[in-house]
Amino acid sequence: MAMFDRKGQIRIIESFLAIAVVFSAVLVSVTFPSAPDLSKQKSLASMGTQTLMTLDTNGTLGNLILQQNWTDIKTALDILLPTGISFNLTICDENGTTVNAEVIQNSNLLGREAVSVQYVCATRSQTVRFFVVRLQLAWMG
Amino acid sequence: MRKRANSGQILLIAAFIMASLLVSAQLYILEVGKTSGETESDTLSNFMLNIQSGSRNVVIGSLANVSNGGLSNALELNLREWVAFIANQYSHGKSTLYYTLRDTARYSSGIWLDWSLNGYGVSSAYVNFTHMLSGFEADVDQSYPMNITTTLLIASTNRRLSENTKQVNVTINVQNEAEPALARQITIYYRVSSNWLTPDITNNYTLLDYGNGTYLASFVATFPTESVEVSAHIADCRDIYVQANATSIEI
Repeated sequence: MAMFDRKGQIRIIESFLAIAVVFSAVLVSVTFPSAPDLSKQKSLASMGTQTLMTLDTNGTLGNLILQQNWTDIKTALDILLPTGISFNLTICDENGTTVNAEVIQNSNLLGREAVSVQYVCATRSQTVRFFVVRLQLAWMG
Repeated sequence: MRKRANSGQILLIAAFIMASLLVSAQLYILEVGKTSGETESDTLSNFMLNIQSGSRNVVIGSLANVSNGGLSNALELNLREWVAFIANQYSHGKSTLYYTLRDTARYSSGIWLDWSLNGYGVSSAYVNFTHMLSGFEADVDQSYPMNITTTLLIASTNRRLSENTKQVNVTINVQNEAEPALARQITIYYRVSSNWLTPDITNNYTLLDYGNGTYLASFVATFPTESVEVSAHIADCRDIYVQANATSIEI
């Protein structure tokens, strides 16, 4: 009789353990970060495009690329983009070779939900050059 | 009896399998979300604006080249390269840019340079663009003209100081697309016999910038003849060169 009682108790403990395992798995799933918010990303992308267009007004962006003035490009992006946005800019020439010798970014984008904007830039110089500017953006924090 | 004793362990194993399935499914969803996290978001309208802005830069650069003594077909060559370059840049569909260089009485292969003697100079480029874009969002045909024109207007007066010495004033007006514009460089010349000379500090040369595209150059020079001819050569902020000549009027 006592043995039967003990077996019953073990069964109950095993059931509880099983429920605990499944429940903890559900909890872990719920606490995972959700999928990226697309509307937030679209606004970020739109902001990035507008920023590059503003920077390209009067051919400024092309001139800065030709002068290899990466510091001024970073400063301009710091000014034009709202605070709280991380960016990373890569500039490629007609052959797809990266031309910016220095990293143009304000903070690291690793581990963040980034959005990428591509801008085709033609210089206003007498010898016209073409570049592809790729701006990656992410919200900080 | 043995089978009954193992049933609790099977229950636990099943629970572990269920738990791992739940967690791995959630991880998979997260990974799929992450790959779409970095999205190419160059939408159709933004791309069209981008190309319009780039085309404008190409026309300006080409006109700067031609007006500074470059090849007369620089515009055609640059546009051909630009069109080829952007053809592969739209990742959401097919992008084709067509252009037509204006060829009228004034324009030749899209370029018009007129640096005449009547106080008027013009350096202009005119191209008609058609951008055809077929993508996931829509099919769009957009046509737009691109007119880049730097105009220089000069007028001159002079006042006799002594028999052959005259004080000359030259009013310079610079325009980009019929709007007042600033000059990056201005050089004034005056004619003595068959030579064109530039006034300097010995001529009390001054250049006054009104800040609205109007400049006043003044200098004193000796002219052996009654006629005073002046010339202004300018480069605007876009590096487009233009010049104009005028005969100064005595007041």
